[in-house]
Amino acid sequence: AMHISTALLFMDRNLLARKQNARLDKQNDLGWKLFGKVPLRENTQKDSKKIQKEYEDKTGRPSKPPSPKQNVRKNLDFEPLSTTALILEDRPANLPAKPAEEAQKHRQQYEEMVVQAKKRELKEAQRRKKQLEERCRVEESIGNAVLTWNNEILPNWETMWCSRKVRDLWWQGIPPSVRGKVWSLAIGNELNITHELFDICLARAKERWRSLSTGGSEVESEDAGFSAADREASLELIKLDISRTFPNLCIFQQGGPYHDMLHSILGAYTCYRPDVGYVQGMSFIAAVLILNLDTADAFIAFSNLLNKPCQMAFFRVDHGLMLTYFAAFEVFFEENLPKLFAHFKKNNLTPDIYLIDWIFTLYSKSLPLDLACRIWDVFCRDGEEFLFRTALGILKLFEDILTKMDFIHMAQFLTRLPEDLPAEELFASIATIQMQSRNKKWAQVLTALQKDSREMEKGSPSLRH
Amino acid sequence: MQVPHKEHLYKLLVIGDLGVGKTSIIKRYVHQNFSSHYRATIGVDFALKVLHWDPETVVRLQLWDIAGQERFGNMTRVYYREAMGAFIVFDVTRPATFEAVAKWKNDLDSKLTLPNGKPVSVVLLANKCDQGKEVLLNNGLKMDQFCKEHGFVGWFETSAKENINIDEASRCLVKHILANECDLIESIEPDIVKPHLTSSKVAPCWWVMQQS
Repeated sequence: AMHISTALLFMDRNLLARKQNARLDKQNDLGWKLFGKVPLRENTQKDSKKIQKEYEDKTGRPSKPPSPKQNVRKNLDFEPLSTTALILEDRPANLPAKPAEEAQKHRQQYEEMVVQAKKRELKEAQRRKKQLEERCRVEESIGNAVLTWNNEILPNWETMWCSRKVRDLWWQGIPPSVRGKVWSLAIGNELNITHELFDICLARAKERWRSLSTGGSEVESEDAGFSAADREASLELIKLDISRTFPNLCIFQQGGPYHDMLHSILGAYTCYRPDVGYVQGMSFIAAVLILNLDTADAFIAFSNLLNKPCQMAFFRVDHGLMLTYFAAFEVFFEENLPKLFAHFKKNNLTPDIYLIDWIFTLYSKSLPLDLACRIWDVFCRDGEEFLFRTALGILKLFEDILTKMDFIHMAQFLTRLPEDLPAEELFASIATIQMQSRNKKWAQVLTALQKDSREMEKGSPSLRH
Repeated sequence: MQVPHKEHLYKLLVIGDLGVGKTSIIKRYVHQNFSSHYRATIGVDFALKVLHWDPETVVRLQLWDIAGQERFGNMTRVYYREAMGAFIVFDVTRPATFEAVAKWKNDLDSKLTLPNGKPVSVVLLANKCDQGKEVLLNNGLKMDQFCKEHGFVGWFETSAKENINIDEASRCLVKHILANECDLIESIEPDIVKPHLTSSKVAPCWWVMQQS
């Protein structure tokens, strides 16, 4: 429980930090301020200093009377002094006095309890010290990474982004404060979407919401082939799904701080690409982008991201092409994990059962959010291939457990991964996955399979369902 | 005569429009709890429920919780394969989800049949009845009629939130599946199956039918 709550604290702080930054940006009306965020270094240093001080307060002077901030410690610590020690008191005058023997026994018992409590306290203190040192170390390295990204890499993006040094740093995870900027640059803007275009799409979406809620029907025949009913259904779905997007964060739901942003992006997208519309899974992708970018930039990244071949295949539910992706995945699956592959085959566990959720939401639903963001980091660097490499990394990490399971337990396991999945272990596992099969790379395998399936389609259409 | 211990494994589908409460029903049924914070299902989720049907029979239900968006139709129909029964769910507070019920049923029947060619047993669930009781109260007869016309073996007003009728609905579906299986065995091995014969192979089946 301790682990989870610390993780949450970390995350909340990151979220809040970003939100505050966003607000600052708005006030100064400077748009992108990630470059100019000088105080970042100070912040991290101040943070670790503050933590250090807190730590010293807690461990350095045990004799100091507890301040209200030390509640936690009070509970774990010498509670016995205040309550259990009552056992040492004499009985009230109206009761027979304690026999000396019994009083002696109570004293002994009490002393033992105190010794035990002290031992526990010492252990706890050591554990906490270790944790704090680790946190300081992490914060310091994040602080350094922020400097490198801001001062060296981002100003020289075009020349530096594919260098060995940057790729290595990238793999370690992009610091949250520069993450949005890096994602934007890496995803690019092939579609040349401007903030104005976003405003236009959003205005149109709002028009539709209004006309639907007043029952009007002036939105006619504008995009032929998409009936008002379709559009209405699409908007209804968005509403339903927003409330089910990271519900435990309580920030995207009705009344939450990011509700309108999420609604805007998804609505604007259905106007920008009526041929694609809203598809489940999109709300998770948009939500993750919102956590790292301002609305208009999140929309630009969202539209360009969905325009990538793999995402287009999935979000347009091009079943034939999806099957080709699964087939390519299985080539690398068999190559990397032959034993597990055979076990899956034997149990009829096909990739569509677990991959669909992972690919549609880019792992944001199935992995802890901070870990998912790290997967996104490298996905932005390596492209679609990394999504499938991650899947193999997950399978490899749990290979031993999975080989002992039957179909239903594997399916359950993979569609609900452990919540405490450790980031470093997962990345170590992913790193061992080779995306080469008989000297062919992912893209080559995929292209070959696509060609095969096209030829099969031409040859005997009846074979395909 | 000693009736042998019998174990059944059935794959059941849970389908219906987006947001009608499919995941909630399954969580309630399998884990006995409810939360209004479930995330949208993408693709398919799974659950396993073990029923001690009677002293001699254990029934394992593999529940396939399938994403509700219509767009996924082509993709999710591969999940129908080899299912023995299904729940089709709608939300009593959203009429459009009821209008979609017939569409889900037709889709299912066109893509899935039992080995003997008959349609699988399907139970209709009118979910969130805690929020919209009055909607169905006067429509009981109409619902019976609707189920007859569309080939549902039964319908239940359910509430995952208040735990209403979910066990009952499941028992109804399993009862029909077991009965269907009897028919299947009969059609495959017509010589053995006579109720008065004490064939150990079919005894549990008949036993179940008389029980229920």
